[in-house]
Amino acid sequence: MRILVCIKQVPNQDAKYAINADNNGIIYDDNTAYWINMYDEHAIEAALQIKESIANSSIDILSIGPKRVESAIRRSLEMGADYGYRLVYEGEVTLSPSIKSQMIAEFCEGREYDLIITGVMSEDMMSGQVGPMLAARLDIPSATAVMQFIINTENNSIWLERELDGGLRGSLELKLPVLITVQSGINRPRYPSFSNVMRAKKSEIIEVATSTHLHNLQYERLVDIPEPEVGRQGIKLTGSLSEKAQALWELLHGKSLI
Amino acid sequence: MSNDIMIVCEHKDKEFLPITKELFHCANLLAKHYKSKITLLMPTFVPLEIACPEYDLMVVDSPYLAEYTCEGWEQAALLGVEEVKPDIIIIAHSSTGYDYAPRLAAKLDGSCISSVSAIEIRDDKVFYRRSGLYGKLDLLYDAVKRPLVITVLPGAFPAYEPLGGEGICRNISADIKLKQTSKVEYSLLDIIDTELDYASVVVAAGRGIGKEENLDLIKDLASCFNRSAVAGSRIVCDKGWLPYSSQIGITGKKVSPPLYIACGISGSAQHIAGMKEAKMVVSINWDSEAAIHRYSDISVVEDLVKFIPEFIRKCEKT
Ligand SMILES: Cc1cc2nc3c(=O)[nH]c(=O)nc-3n(C[C@H](O)[C@H](O)[C@H](O)COP(=O)(O)OP(=O)(O)OC[C@H]3O[C@@H](n4cnc5c(N)ncnc54)[C@H](O)[C@@H]3O)c2cc1C
Repeated sequence: MRILVCIKQVPNQDAKYAINADNNGIIYDDNTAYWINMYDEHAIEAALQIKESIANSSIDILSIGPKRVESAIRRSLEMGADYGYRLVYEGEVTLSPSIKSQMIAEFCEGREYDLIITGVMSEDMMSGQVGPMLAARLDIPSATAVMQFIINTENNSIWLERELDGGLRGSLELKLPVLITVQSGINRPRYPSFSNVMRAKKSEIIEVATSTHLHNLQYERLVDIPEPEVGRQGIKLTGSLSEKAQALWELLHGKSLI
Repeated sequence: MSNDIMIVCEHKDKEFLPITKELFHCANLLAKHYKSKITLLMPTFVPLEIACPEYDLMVVDSPYLAEYTCEGWEQAALLGVEEVKPDIIIIAHSSTGYDYAPRLAAKLDGSCISSVSAIEIRDDKVFYRRSGLYGKLDLLYDAVKRPLVITVLPGAFPAYEPLGGEGICRNISADIKLKQTSKVEYSLLDIIDTELDYASVVVAAGRGIGKEENLDLIKDLASCFNRSAVAGSRIVCDKGWLPYSSQIGITGKKVSPPLYIACGISGSAQHIAGMKEAKMVVSINWDSEAAIHRYSDISVVEDLVKFIPEFIRKCEKT
């Protein structure tokens, strides 16, 4: 099995950020911590489990972005993936999923992956588009929010179960090659083992140039970052820890909730 | 640009699903602004006998559309696009919608905006709003390239009941083939009633509790209240700290207790969908910008590991 896992590096949830002068880009503080998108960690784990059960499998990891995304790729190698690729994009403006999917499709050409895995969405932008778009660009089937799957190497297919709304599950079989996006809960991502960490130190992360014409395509364009609507007009408690605890108690007591 | 609109409808037992009616409302807003036409696309197996609504209706029927498959619905939607030639395609951000909508956009090489929560008109131009950055900020988009595919967040728009009317109804027997998909099955997970459904106070733990041992803090907090129950965000259940039957949210339980206390929960749209009907919401989250605070009546911006014991001490004293 030739497996590709596409991962995104995301800023820590409580990272300090600013909005640029044009009000259409988010700039993170220089000492922001970045991680592998949680759902993509599940994608890496899913690939590693296939590699353990199907002989002659190899796992490529791909991420688009500036130099800093190499730490996310490195971490995937430490978990046990084989090769790391960074599709070079130095801009800090988030690319449209349409552009990202075309960059990855370009990379996939001639590489003949049997299975491509990504997370169901990124934690920060939550679009959930790159996976299915990539599959469409490659003209292969896809399934999103996958909770379980079994690969059948004899008839070159994959059986999988998707999580649907309202407690429903849907299962189906697809012919390989296939792209799946995995939902959290599909597995428990492992910690890197010492031997893999040592091995990963020696592996090189390969930089791949992306076609510049893709950088300039226009799809949907971010024009403003407005204040979100407020669901409830609430109050923020003030004072010391003890004063806040007292205030909360009094408010709840006043409403006979405690 | 004519800005004609096509809505891909989800339906069950000859009825539009509630989310589909919300799409009608969203489409009406756009159609009113652009003075454009709305066409409903209904992928189905049995020819439907739905009374002609005020919109044009295009029924695409094929035995392969009896139930949802990505492959089948993508073909049906593409057929619709070929016939209707819409500039804007509206799809629900449901587990079916987010499965095929991005594919459709890629096949049409158009724009795609997912989980749209509002349509905004500024200076006579239309923009699409969605939530981003872990729910902390909203993002406003302009769809430069057409066609545009949007998926609409359930609950974002009120439902609109279409009037009977003059729409043109067409039936297309489509030659749809499933070349890559087989063995399609649907099953319902057992959803069990738990004490969560009857609790007066739900104390919910999020990833912010940091480690499994801190669940004791949450349980101790719950025991300050009568008829209370402990629940969790999806991440807490995924980690195995709580069973899935305690998960609150769009893929878990929906609760509406008199009091909901969110501890270390960020307030993602998927979680909010499960608790927004609570009568009163208290959030304990040290990040003052976390989305949960916007859905709270009382916000406590503190480290929960310090705050909860302090609060419990106050309760014990009185
Ligand atoms: C298709 C789909 C369906 C989903 N369905 C659901 C669902 O049904 N229910 C659900 O909950 N999620 C669901 N999710 C996941 C959802 O998107 C979020 O990832 C999840 O809700 C986040 O959980 P959380 O708030 O516990 O964790 P996080 O988002 O990690 O938030 C943790 C919060 O804790 C705060 N914190 C950390 N430490 C402390 C401390 N010491 N004191 C105080 N605060 C602290 C942080 O500031 C942060 O805001 C779904 C996702 C997808 C893609």
